[in-house]
Amino acid sequence: MKFRIIAAVVLAAALATVASTATGSIKRATAQSVTVWVMTDAQNGWPGAIAAANAQFQQQHPGVNINIQYQTWDTVLQKFDAALAANDAPDVIELGNTQTAKYMAAGAFSSLKAKNFPNSSTWLSGLKSSCTYRGKLYCVPYYAGARAVIYRKDMYRQAGIKKLPTSYAQWLADGKKLMKKFGKNPNFSAFYEPGQNWYVATTFVEDWGGQLAVQQKNGKWKGTLDSPQAVKALTIFKSMVRKLSRASKSVDEAHPFPSIPFAKGRMASFIGNGWEWPYVFDPKGGAAPKSFAKKMGAYPMPSHIKGKYMPTFLGGSDLGIPISAHNKALGADWIKAFTGTQSETLIAKAGNIANTTKLANVNAHNPALAPFARAAKSSWFVPTSPNWTNVENSHLLKQMLTAILTNQKSVAAATKSASKQITTILNASS
Amino acid sequence: MSSRSPAAAAAVPEARISRRPRRPLVSRLRSGAAPYLLILPACVVIGAVLGYPLYFMGHLSLEHYGLFQLIRHQGEWIGLKNYSQIFHDGFFWHVVLRSLAFTAAAVSLTMVFGTLIALLLVQLGTKMRVLVTAGLIFVWATPVVVAVAVWSWMIDFEFGVLNWLLTYLNVGNFNHHDWFASTLSGWTVITSLVVWGAIPFVTLMVYAGLTQVPKELVEAATTDGASSWRVFRDVTVPLLKPIFVILISLSIIWDFQVFNQIWLLLDGQPPPQYFTMSIYAFTTSFQQSQYGLGSAIALVMVAILLIVSFVYIREMVKIGDAE
Repeated sequence: MKFRIIAAVVLAAALATVASTATGSIKRATAQSVTVWVMTDAQNGWPGAIAAANAQFQQQHPGVNINIQYQTWDTVLQKFDAALAANDAPDVIELGNTQTAKYMAAGAFSSLKAKNFPNSSTWLSGLKSSCTYRGKLYCVPYYAGARAVIYRKDMYRQAGIKKLPTSYAQWLADGKKLMKKFGKNPNFSAFYEPGQNWYVATTFVEDWGGQLAVQQKNGKWKGTLDSPQAVKALTIFKSMVRKLSRASKSVDEAHPFPSIPFAKGRMASFIGNGWEWPYVFDPKGGAAPKSFAKKMGAYPMPSHIKGKYMPTFLGGSDLGIPISAHNKALGADWIKAFTGTQSETLIAKAGNIANTTKLANVNAHNPALAPFARAAKSSWFVPTSPNWTNVENSHLLKQMLTAILTNQKSVAAATKSASKQITTILNASS
Repeated sequence: MSSRSPAAAAAVPEARISRRPRRPLVSRLRSGAAPYLLILPACVVIGAVLGYPLYFMGHLSLEHYGLFQLIRHQGEWIGLKNYSQIFHDGFFWHVVLRSLAFTAAAVSLTMVFGTLIALLLVQLGTKMRVLVTAGLIFVWATPVVVAVAVWSWMIDFEFGVLNWLLTYLNVGNFNHHDWFASTLSGWTVITSLVVWGAIPFVTLMVYAGLTQVPKELVEAATTDGASSWRVFRDVTVPLLKPIFVILISLSIIWDFQVFNQIWLLLDGQPPPQYFTMSIYAFTTSFQQSQYGLGSAIALVMVAILLIVSFVYIREMVKIGDAE
């Protein structure tokens, strides 16, 4: 009898394990609905743009149900892969501009005609090229973002900084002044830099003349983080972080968003995207009072060459239509509505760079956001290999930075092993 | 289920069997088929929810199956290449050893603390026992996702209460202490979280067993001058052996495939030093889009789990036979 109970318990446990690993499936789209996957950034940052697009789409297609499903960057690709495998892909999906290459190369998107979409002749060239594979267009530019330093005017003033820095050396000296003035508070950072923010680390690498990887004449890729320029830049980066930042060295810039501790007065500056400015006041973000804005300012990160800016990462997003989408035409119409001038203006006003150069001056007279547009004039981008997203997904850059910043590995050793891994991943057959 | 073992069958003299009059074949078949018919629905369910996915995974593990193949629903047959790749990969063996070591540590800690708390429960008065049991049930009832969220807030670098408390109590300067900066301290956090979540079940099961230990046996042993440790070792443990065996085997199954706690605690991007087999299989499949290779890793994991738990299952069958 006892054995039977034991057997029943084991069987129940086994079944529970199986049941808990089964995942829910996505609701199948019907002919009368369009399913859209966009990131939660839109939900938090520019819900007005979504509403405007939906209204325009509804006018065109009354009675068609719009099913917006907000996704997070951490899991969207896994879910997308599962949806592709199940022939249940959404009609529109937002992907980061570093992720599109892999999916275009694998044939995940249907090809599009640029002239069918608004403002296509003035699309940002950086975004357009992230949507182009072997001469064909597979997605539509959505928006771009640039990073700049967001800082506390009052703290800079109290530390005796009269003029914003115009060179890296001066910037570093200012940081030391801030640490001297406020550093007794163990939570204070002159420059809050989460250790795994590889966008900022790579910005240093690019400024000192290095690169993540280069494509050789034979078409093969080579990781170049162990080049003398990159090693020098990362050594400088390490010394800066260890002196001026008390952020965790083992998390990235989304855990937490620096705007949250910024709103709590824990730092004098951090490098952030334009949309992080409003996030300081967002009740779900920093929840700072409106009056806090008077104390805030922004400036592009100064280069080690006096008078220049460090190149910023031109991050951004694109909207594609999966090859197995059920309602491709409806998806295209929704994209047209969402990337039209009306919605794009709202997206830009939320702190982004619109997908068209026509709207380049939307924020020109906004002292908060103009520095981001200035920073965007000099930019860098990740290697254009379809395998690049596998490098990002393996988090090896983040782990390399943690190893460097916590002294687990020397800069030379860490960059050497990271470069080797990058070379292997970029050259792997997909 | 029959309690006849092969040994018992062999002990029956051959001659007596041959002398017994034989029933007609059809009738024998009919009565022989009944148990199989009864077990059939269960087998169909298991086949559908477990057998087919396993078969599919086995098939997948023999293919090159990347994003390109995924979109076309057509794998590329490569035989055993995925397996030879992982068996020649030093990192893979590293992950296997780490998973086994973690399982051993977590299971022993769970069993030791679970049993100790159960022994404590026996000694407690009614009110305290109700209080402790309620606490245990709450832990057991907390979904993993919620538990991890609570823990990660407690150990948070910037705002965590643990760093604040340790600094406040003058244990040391834990302001901005990063619990995941060193691998050992990171694994300590993960193991504590997993063990914490697993203790209630073990405790309640062992406690239920302890209440069934006949008092006379304990009294007799004590009268004979046995120390309480001796009583525990020679009276309680042998009586509770079936419970311990089942708890250990279940704990091994659960801890060897631990995934959620590590995954969520490390924001879905655990560095390689925090890879267990399940995480390795998952990242290979879903982050590197190497579904064939990922399936091979997962199947090796299943095989290891079967080997590890085989000993315990055999033990369980023996206990069943002794009934």
